[in-house]
Amino acid sequence: MRHVVSRRSVLFGVPAALALSACSGSGGGSTELSNEPVTLRFTWWGSDARHQRTQQVITLFQEKHPNITVKGEFKDWNGYWDSLATTAAAQEAPDVIQMDELYLASYAERGALLDLSRVSDHLDTGGIAEDVLATGKVEDKQYGVPTGLAAYSMVVNTDLLDQYGIEVPDDDTWSWDDLKEIGAKVSAAGGGKVTGVQSWGFDMGGLNIWTRQSGGRLFGDDGNVAVKPAVVADYWRYLVELADKGIAPPPSVTVERATATLDQSGTATNASAFGTWWNTQLTSLSAASGQHLTLLKLPGEADAKQRGVYHKPSMYWSIFSRSKHPGEAALLVDFLANSQDAAEVMLTDRGVPVNEKIRTAIEPKLDPADQAAVRYLNDIKVSPPPRVTPNGASDIEKILQRHTEQVLFGQAKPEDAATSFINELQAEIDAAA
Amino acid sequence: MTVFHELRRRTAAPAEPRGRVPGEPRRKRPANKKDNLAALVFLAPWLAGLLVITIGPMIASLVLSFTNYDLLQPPEWAGFDNFVRMLGDERLHSSLQVTFVYVFVSVPVQLTIALLLAVVLDRGVRGMAFYRSIFYLPSLLGSSVAIAILWQQVFGTEGLVNHFLGLFGVPGRGWISEPGTALSSLIVLNVWTFGAPMVIFLAGLRQIPSMYYEAAAVDGAGPLRRFRGITLPLLTPIIFFNLVLQIIHAFQAFTQAFVVSNGTGGPSDSTLFFTLYAYQRAFRNFDMGYASAMAWFLLVVIAAFTAINFYAARFWVFYDD
Repeated sequence: MRHVVSRRSVLFGVPAALALSACSGSGGGSTELSNEPVTLRFTWWGSDARHQRTQQVITLFQEKHPNITVKGEFKDWNGYWDSLATTAAAQEAPDVIQMDELYLASYAERGALLDLSRVSDHLDTGGIAEDVLATGKVEDKQYGVPTGLAAYSMVVNTDLLDQYGIEVPDDDTWSWDDLKEIGAKVSAAGGGKVTGVQSWGFDMGGLNIWTRQSGGRLFGDDGNVAVKPAVVADYWRYLVELADKGIAPPPSVTVERATATLDQSGTATNASAFGTWWNTQLTSLSAASGQHLTLLKLPGEADAKQRGVYHKPSMYWSIFSRSKHPGEAALLVDFLANSQDAAEVMLTDRGVPVNEKIRTAIEPKLDPADQAAVRYLNDIKVSPPPRVTPNGASDIEKILQRHTEQVLFGQAKPEDAATSFINELQAEIDAAA
Repeated sequence: MTVFHELRRRTAAPAEPRGRVPGEPRRKRPANKKDNLAALVFLAPWLAGLLVITIGPMIASLVLSFTNYDLLQPPEWAGFDNFVRMLGDERLHSSLQVTFVYVFVSVPVQLTIALLLAVVLDRGVRGMAFYRSIFYLPSLLGSSVAIAILWQQVFGTEGLVNHFLGLFGVPGRGWISEPGTALSSLIVLNVWTFGAPMVIFLAGLRQIPSMYYEAAAVDGAGPLRRFRGITLPLLTPIIFFNLVLQIIHAFQAFTQAFVVSNGTGGPSDSTLFFTLYAYQRAFRNFDMGYASAMAWFLLVVIAAFTAINFYAARFWVFYDD
């Protein structure tokens, strides 16, 4: 048999081949595992404790896979996203990326993340409940494996309450008005040194809970802003009232705290009795505070239209779409997500493990604060989690912070700020589409 | 003292922009090829840097300013869309306003303080070298991250300033966490770096021949009169030079606002400099095309103000040559 390459086949073939290669131009390497030495880059944000634990896990992984070297690159939250954006733009992002819910869609829809079904040979997600795993999907493709779960909670300093002779409220029934009332009592007893409630209002969690309790959602399934201005305005009115009545610190302190570390917060410095936090932060808070801190269920859940609280995936493991070693990267993600050895080092640092088997296995190793966090997560009744933050809305916390500041300082009325907040957020989503 | 000499030489430069060096013809000797080659070799590192690090990216950003570029996907041609969008961007307008206030308040105040201190130091204060170094120090540190963090602490609600005010029973406030005062704290930070223009002023003062003062003193002119009649006019080229430099410098301010507000430009955009907003659009909002357009707009603004400065200089700058 002779193959004659005709002039015509060349004329048609070459452009076709070019076009095909352009279509599939993901540029990533083969998902086959290599026997040659491979170097992976792995990036995450977090505290010093997390860096140490993650480095230990890397060592364990390298012992298991002698031909793979993992280089850790770690930063603080703000610098992390600036650096990820620039390295991804230069097509040089690390292979394994710790990803946040805020940015998952922004990166996935722009083609920067690997569709994990391509590496399912090396990455087992069978131990993770279907609905939890689904939180890592964007447009029906799996771009992230949840690292763990967290839930919004109210942290209360029971030592402070004891000291002032105030009883811990019944968290099965309490409302936001109850929080206001008891907070005022604490502030009165605290004499200016201690406030009842710690300032908040800059994180998406708070607004999310408030919106869900009112029966609404921050984002609709179509990825557009769905929250009503009146709900956002209500939220701000509540925050302003807390600040005006001295139940929470004055706005200027709130602004300072917004950029401060966890250790400098009102809860950690025992300057506030109540504060909203993710349940897994209890361990670090307890360590910093040195006093008895307890997790309470959120106010307003009893008479809410729908439960505000939900299981939030703390963060995700993702793989860079142009990774030269997607197979090995998947091995690392598999190790991080499914290995008991790794879990025993990381414990609840990246949330309560989503893999039920692992969660049970590490429970005896947890210290009391961690155990309380796990118990809280198991005990609360939740409603389904909100959809992943849509592409373009990654900046929501910054936009929220700016508008909260305007409201707290009296530069804008809550209603006007709410409209402006929603319009601006929608504009960012539209611009990214 | 080499820094000082260097500065003196630099300050001398603007004094002769008219090129009034009469009667010095170009050297007739044809350029020696060997010399040229040597010059090129020595210039090569600088040239390479200029091309690769400055001019290359500038051209790239000019091209990008006409595109929609989200960093992760290839840019799409957008014509003048980005520039049109700037007209309707309220945050951009507010950031321009913040930048203008910063530039046109901090630069005059800073130069005034620098000039007055230079005059005082020039009168032969004992230990002048020491004071000069002390006053110059903030200029070296002023735009550093460390100082910005220090500023955050000093002007915080629990900071040094409030403790000091507390001594007199004045209630403190969150200087950098309240929208009313945050920009002022950054202006104070910039004014605090008066050392660099001061050193240049000092160099300028040294060049004024003392005989003028002696003659004026003989004629009975007091210190104020001598300052107004001799120092100020003869120093105008140096003032002009400082003014141009500091205005350009202030327009480009970024680090202080970035660190003090933790990258937000807050509270409620009160410290959102134009540069900071461009940075946010580029790296936080994946909006590099727009950010590039903003950068070029800023370049035009700075160029315009520099041109105005040079034009106005004809009417008040006196060259004694």
